[in-house]
Amino acid sequence: MLESTKPITAAKSGLVNCLVCHQLAPIASTHCKRCSTALSSRIKNSVQISLSLLVTAVLLYIPANIYPIMSTELLGDTTESTIIGGIILFLEHESYFIAAVIFIASVIVPMAKMLALAWLCYCANRADKIKQYELTKLYRVTEFIGKWSMVDIFVVAILVALIQLGELMSIKVGFAATAFAGVVVITMISAHQFDTRFLWDKVDEE
Amino acid sequence: MNKAQPQLHACLECDLLIKMPDSISHRTNVSCPRCNHSIAVGHNNAKQYVLAMSLTALILMFIACTFSFISFSSNEQIRTINLLQTFTELYLQEYYFVAVLVFSFILLLPTLYLLSVCLIILSSYRGFGPLPTVWLGKLMSHILPWSMAEVFLIGVLVALIKVTSMADISLESSFWAYVIFAPLFTHIVSMIDNHRLWCWIEQAKEPSHA
Ligand SMILES: [Zn+2]
Ligand SMILES: [Zn+2]
Repeated sequence: MLESTKPITAAKSGLVNCLVCHQLAPIASTHCKRCSTALSSRIKNSVQISLSLLVTAVLLYIPANIYPIMSTELLGDTTESTIIGGIILFLEHESYFIAAVIFIASVIVPMAKMLALAWLCYCANRADKIKQYELTKLYRVTEFIGKWSMVDIFVVAILVALIQLGELMSIKVGFAATAFAGVVVITMISAHQFDTRFLWDKVDEE
Repeated sequence: MNKAQPQLHACLECDLLIKMPDSISHRTNVSCPRCNHSIAVGHNNAKQYVLAMSLTALILMFIACTFSFISFSSNEQIRTINLLQTFTELYLQEYYFVAVLVFSFILLLPTLYLLSVCLIILSSYRGFGPLPTVWLGKLMSHILPWSMAEVFLIGVLVALIKVTSMADISLESSFWAYVIFAPLFTHIVSMIDNHRLWCWIEQAKEPSHA
């Protein structure tokens, strides 16, 4: 879009947008008239909160990969498998499709998401010119793919429920499931805390 | 239908002020001219449509919770599970956090979302006394990112592909109900933009004043 004049934002017009019901209010008001949500023109400390949650998620991603996500008991033998171990096992059994799904959902998506968030936080703090349109697109992708990493947890949940044949064959959850679910939830909150309007504010300042 | 005055709307992602049109024609998209964020989607009778779809989805969810989900047989042993066991089994193995998450993401939150939208639409037709529609609207906007019906469906499919090599699987009625429920839920969510939802809530507030 071509912009001949400076774009008029709500903040510049002395208005504040309610993030829940999207009603505009005078900038001085503290709570939304319609839904009584606390108002603020931009999410306070958005980048800092987002970044600290991101660091937590990265740290939690380590045990999620080290500990077993589930253990299979087959005729008395117990095999524990980690996320990566599970993928390798599928590759060995030539189940390429499942291997690909699990690999995308549990490795690529969380990694891409954490990298994207880190990049967004870095760009929001940078002084020079940024590509806000591309970054906003990146943010949307990050927000969209967030929940898809839960696939692996759901697979484990179903297998654990289904395969309970006592001595013959049974599956138990492992600690990595908790850690990985934590990673998904924390990165989702982190993405939600990031306020893309900061990116656009920088353009307006120029 | 929409009696609201030509409103100003601020883009959620870039804060640009946008004049909302009085009426949005069927299946046209209103999006932010600066960052392209989608703001509203036009639909001729969204209210009846969403209500009908949501009630259907609630019935499907009810079916998915009552009947058995999948049964699994290996070496003459048969195990049949229902949808609820996908998290109760985790709970029994003392993985409370994961159990609560799975329960909320696949069942509780989608159901709450649909119930809220049905109550809001019904009370916009006629006042249901002191129904907290504003509160329901807030609830809906908070639970939406956490509803993962479609993600669960993919999880079920992956698990099934994995298990079919080990044993005989039969898919029960609850499974099929969920297979229809998940895409239907995604479709309903895409029909309810925030602009439209809060118009309904405004309408629901009016009859109670009269
Ligand atoms: Zn509000
Ligand atoms: Zn915008």
